[in-house]
Formats: sequence, structure tokens, C-alpha cells
Amino acid sequence: MRNKMARMFVTAVAIMAVTAGLSTSAAADEIRLVNGKIEVDAQLKKLAEMYKEETGVDVTIESMGGGIDIQGTLKGYYQSDNMPDIFVNGGATDFANWEGLLVDMSDQAWASDTDAAYIDDQGTIGFPYTTEAVGLAYNADILEKAGIDPATLTGPDEIKAAFETIDGMKDELGIKAVVGYCAEVVNLYWSTGNHLFANYIDGGLSRDDTTYIDMLNDGGQLDMDRFAKFADFVGLLNQYSDPDLLVSGTYDQQILNFASGQYAFVTQGSWIGATMTSTDADAYASAGNFKCGMVPYAFEEGMDTILTNSPSWWAVYKDGNVEAALAFLQWLSEDTAQEVLVNEAGFVSPFKSCTFVANDPFAQTIMDYQGAGKTSAWHWLNMKEGLAQNATGQVFGMYAQGQLDAAGFADAMQSVISDYYAQ
Amino acid sequence: MQMDTNSGSKKLVSLICLIAGVVLAVVALIQDISGSGAGWRGPALIIGAVGILFGMYLFPTQKHHRNIINFIFVFPLLFTFGVTVIIPLCLGVFYSFSDWDGIRMTQMVGLDNYISMFRDPAFLWSVLITILFVVLNMILVNVVAFCLALLCTQKLKGVSFFRAAYFLPNLIGGIVLGYVWQFVFNNVLLKFTNNISLLASTNSAFACIIIVYIWQYAGYIMLIYVTGLTQIPGEILEASQIDGANAFTTLFKIKIPMIAATITICTFLTLTSAFKQFDVNMALTNGAGAVTGFMGKFLTNGTQMLALNIYNTAISKNSYALGQAKAILFFVLLAFVSIIQVSISNKKEVEM
Repeated sequence: MRNKMARMFVTAVAIMAVTAGLSTSAAADEIRLVNGKIEVDAQLKKLAEMYKEETGVDVTIESMGGGIDIQGTLKGYYQSDNMPDIFVNGGATDFANWEGLLVDMSDQAWASDTDAAYIDDQGTIGFPYTTEAVGLAYNADILEKAGIDPATLTGPDEIKAAFETIDGMKDELGIKAVVGYCAEVVNLYWSTGNHLFANYIDGGLSRDDTTYIDMLNDGGQLDMDRFAKFADFVGLLNQYSDPDLLVSGTYDQQILNFASGQYAFVTQGSWIGATMTSTDADAYASAGNFKCGMVPYAFEEGMDTILTNSPSWWAVYKDGNVEAALAFLQWLSEDTAQEVLVNEAGFVSPFKSCTFVANDPFAQTIMDYQGAGKTSAWHWLNMKEGLAQNATGQVFGMYAQGQLDAAGFADAMQSVISDYYAQ
Repeated sequence: MQMDTNSGSKKLVSLICLIAGVVLAVVALIQDISGSGAGWRGPALIIGAVGILFGMYLFPTQKHHRNIINFIFVFPLLFTFGVTVIIPLCLGVFYSFSDWDGIRMTQMVGLDNYISMFRDPAFLWSVLITILFVVLNMILVNVVAFCLALLCTQKLKGVSFFRAAYFLPNLIGGIVLGYVWQFVFNNVLLKFTNNISLLASTNSAFACIIIVYIWQYAGYIMLIYVTGLTQIPGEILEASQIDGANAFTTLFKIKIPMIAATITICTFLTLTSAFKQFDVNMALTNGAGAVTGFMGKFLTNGTQMLALNIYNTAISKNSYALGQAKAILFFVLLAFVSIIQVSISNKKEVEM
């Protein structure tokens, strides 16, 4: 009996020793990338395959999107010792989470080929991969039929007049509403609370002007003069938006209706181009694959910039497979990969050496504004974490529902934001 | 003599096993804590633990042998319980007194998290509506479930179909249910509500959560009531019929008293699960809803219940330590409810 047990014991030990020996030999040529743009998951996986063929290095793409809290998930990975080698970060707040844990990439070849890298006192810690723009997107065909030249929309009065004209011609133009603006609070808080609000922070300013974000981050102050004008402009959007969409619509409806030519304007950024040419391609084609463009959210006379930025950056984790990760990022910035990223993922390349031009509906308008130097930055990325979801999105929703007027909207916004910053 | 040599060699093997096991386990733990990351530290720990257990098993003692065997049998469960429940709980309590942000902590802050939690009107609002939600649901779910159970114990055609149909929503996950009902409230029902979604205002959104919750949970509670009702002895019902009791009297004088124990169980089941409500809340409204003038503040988390508030505090507001402090309060409240439940059901059992 005892002999038998002893033999079993020895066998067990032997098996464990063997498995232990096996598990130490983890492959060194594997990297894992956490991507925050689920819409380009397929394209990134294709790149990963190409890279594997070229170099033999296994790249695993893990895409998270939509409502997933990526930073929360990453913290979970960190706690369980399961960090990816490359992961996405959305701005100062995100990068601050990982202070001291990221690799400085200033010595990489790509770093001198772009102005859009994320740089702070830890060095060059963010790899840019695309450029996105926030502006009031329009359907050029409809504007042309209505006899409106987008270049003349340079202030709130002109935009209001244009909205009125189009509203009067709705049947003639065959559209449902002038603007597709959605202030639904549960799933679309980011559209209002981040991207629309971004225009209050940066609209019309030069790229390094941080006046309003500094005020905001100093205890949540708003400039009430500027904000009152912004509030009036949002009121205009409320008034001329599709009522079916305004309070309880979804992102999918908003994009589909714009792609099928039912709105003259839509309050989403350049990223909808990818959806219009893939998921909604049929609707877009039957609407004549119309040309798109953007005008500034000119809530003050003379505002002539749209907001462009790298929406997020990829950072390299210092305890991961650093060498392989850096090599992969360098490869991504070069021609073979850029071709896929630009032509298939619809990215607007942040790299100067890249010569590809996307056939994305918004690529041209972004390049035009960039060429003319008429862009502002995305300082909303530096707002306190969760502000849109937990505070401002709700106030936009109430304004849209008519529970607040413009003055009430401004007051509620000021009170909600300063409370949020006080926490 | 035979016994002696046997126990002598046994003692030797046992000691070798014990010592080797302890050494292996300690080395593995040191490696883990110092973060040296040798690949074999996991297996070393397991082999060490097995060695210790084996040594204990062989240890020649008459007096404690039974206790040792008992311990060895309980050990796997005890270990799992410790690793998955006790250690995280202790860590949680510890973090709630620190400034942990999910990645690192720099200092202990004492009771600051607890103090700021009770000074935060948004959190107090969450506590308030959670209590309201629990009370409403405890009553509504039980009433609805009991009525359904009465229907499903009648002699009707297709009763088993109805039982299954009422139970079905419970098999769908809360997140999916939340999104399905969000579609219903935001699209389908718009025609009847003047194009204004029921989810848009705080009060109606809160009512929506209650409706969806009842829809999800009543079928499950109904099944428990059905079991209770079918266990009432037939002869008692027959006797009451002979005595001339009508359906109403039978219900209140016989059926309800006979299933009193079931009612207690169901009440506490709905109480604890309503308290922990999270998934439907998150998918349906994600806590959105405006409240004007609560404690002089304008709140934007009108329908955010306690569990969701804790989650949002930690994840989306990036205050892990504060979220942890709230979670400790949540744990204390739930533990309190559970202790009452256990003591009441124990008493009931004794009476029966």
C-alpha cells in the first residue's frame, strides 16, 4: 500500500517537473497588441499575418471597442500579470496611469517622420496611427442642390440661415431632416460629451492654445461668454435635428441615415467614413456615393478650424517583449503596412513619408484643412476621466429633450462639471 | 517490534517529505514575492504542498491521525476558498484605506475614502434608489410570481408550456435582456409615448428597470412557489373542500400558511438579488438620468444603483480605492441581510 502511494507520488513529481520544464520555454517571438478601434480589427489581423510571413513573428491582435472601458480592462491585465506588449492610450489621463511603465521611443526611425507622436516628460511614448477630424460633416450633393456653398458657412448666423433654407426645401431635396444630431445619453454620451464639447474647448483656436482646457482642469471652470454662444449653437442642432434620432436614436441609425442621404449634416467625425464604405456601403451607393466634407462648428463668427488629432496612440510596455514590439511598430510606419492601413482601413496617415491617399469620404477634406493650416487640437483628451459618461452627456440629453433652455443648459453644465471636478 | 521499525522508517519518510515540501514551498514563495520570475516556481509550490500533505499523512501518531486526515480532506476546498475569497477580501479592505488607482498605491489615507463617500450626494442617491428598488421588487416580484404560480398549478391544458414560457426570460443573460428592452423602449414603444423614450426621464427609466427586472425574475421565483404549492398534501385540500371552503378561503387559510417557509425563502432571494442588481441596470440605462436639486446638487446618475455606482467609481472615474471603500459598505450591508435571513430560516426549521 505504502509502496504504491510512494510510486504514485514519484510519478506525480516527475510529471510536474517535465511540465515545468516545458512551460519555461515560452516563445520570444510573440507580441500582443491591444487595439482600441474595433472597426479596423480585420485590417490589423491581415497586417499581423503579413508580418508573420515576412519575419516569422507572431502578432496577436486583441481588439476592444464600443462601450468597453479599455483602461479598466488593461488594469485588470496588469493585476493578473497578463500585460500586452503594445496597447492603446487615449490621452494625458491614460498615459498618466502608466507612468514609469512605458518605453521611450524617441530613438525610433518613425519618430522623426511624424508630428503626431505623443510626447511628454517620459519621452516619446505614443505611436500615432491615424488622424481623425471632428467637424460638422455635410453631404456635398444636398448642399449643392440647395444652392449653399459650404465655404460661406463661417459663423452661427450663416449656418442658421443655411439650416433654414434646407429645412424649407426638405421635400424637394428628399431628406428627412437638416441635421442628424443625436444626444442619447446611455450609448452616445461620448459623441456629445466628448466630441461636440471638444468644440467649446478648442474651436477656432491654434493647436497649442490650452486656454479653455486649463480653465476646465482648474476645478471645472467654464468661460460663460464662450459657453453661452456654444449653447446657442447646440440649440440650433436640437431645433433642426431629426426628432426620431435626437433623444433616443442609435449610432447605427445616425450613420445609416446620413449615408443614405437623409440628412444634409451629421454631428459625427471623420471615422464614420469607414462605416459608410463598409457596413452601410449599399445605402451609400444607392444615395450616389455623394461627396462629403466638413465645416467648422462655427458658434462664433470667424471660427475656421476643424479639430484634428491622432485619436489615440499605441504605447509599448516596458516589461513586455520590447524589441519585437518596437520592430513591429517601425514596420507599421513603413510603406508595406501603410498601404494597407491607408487603403483598406481608411486611415489618414500621420507619417510624412507616406504617399498613399485614402479613398475614404473624409480623407480629402482633412488633407485640405491640414494643408491650409486650419486645424485645432483635441484637448478634450485631457479632461478628467469619465466626465462625458458620468456628467456632461446627461446635460446634453436634457437640453435635447427640452427640459433645459440655453441658459439652463449652461448653468447645469457649469454646476455638473465643477461638482465632478470637486470629487 | 514489527510496529516499532515500521513506524521508525515511516517517521523518517514523513520528516523528509515534510522538510522537502516546506523548503520547496518557501523557495517558490520567496521567488514569487521577489519577482524573480523563474518558470518553475508554480510547480515547485504545488510539489511542496503535496509533499507537506504526504508527510502529514505518514506522520506516525495515534492521537492526531484522525484530525490530520480530516484536514487533508478539507484542505483543497479551504485553499480555494482562501485564494478566491478570503485573500481578495482582505486586500479589498486594505486598499479601501489607501490611494490605490488600480496600478499602484503611494500612501495610506486612513478613513478619507469612507468620509468622501458619505459626503458625495451622487452616492447617497444611489443608496437611496437601491433601497427603494429592493423594497418595490421584493413586493412586486413576489406578488407577480405567486399569482403566476397559482395559475400554473391549476388544471389547465398546456400548463407546462406556460411554466416554461414564464421561466424562459430568466435563462437570458441580463446584459442581453437590457439591450433587448432598450430597443423596445427606444423604438417600439415610441409610437405610444409621443416620440419621447421612457428611458429619457429619470422616473420612467427607473420604472422601466423595475418592469424588466420583474419580467426577468418572476418566472424563477414562480418555479419555487410552484414546488411549494404542489407539495401541499392533497388530503388537506380535499378535506377543506368537503368542509365547504371556497377557492378564496382555501388560498388564504390553507395554501398561504402551508407555504410560509417558501415565502420566506423567496422574499430573501429577491431581496439579495435586487440589492446586487447590476447587469440590467448597466445595459438598459447605464445609470443615466438627471436629478435636479438633490441635497442642493444637480445629479446625472438618476438611475444608477449601488453596484453600478461602485463599478463606475472604480472603472470609469478611475478611483479604485474609493470604489473599494464603497464595495466594503456594500459587503457589510449584504452580509447583514444574509445573517438575518439565515437566522430566520433556522428558526423556521426548528418550528417545523
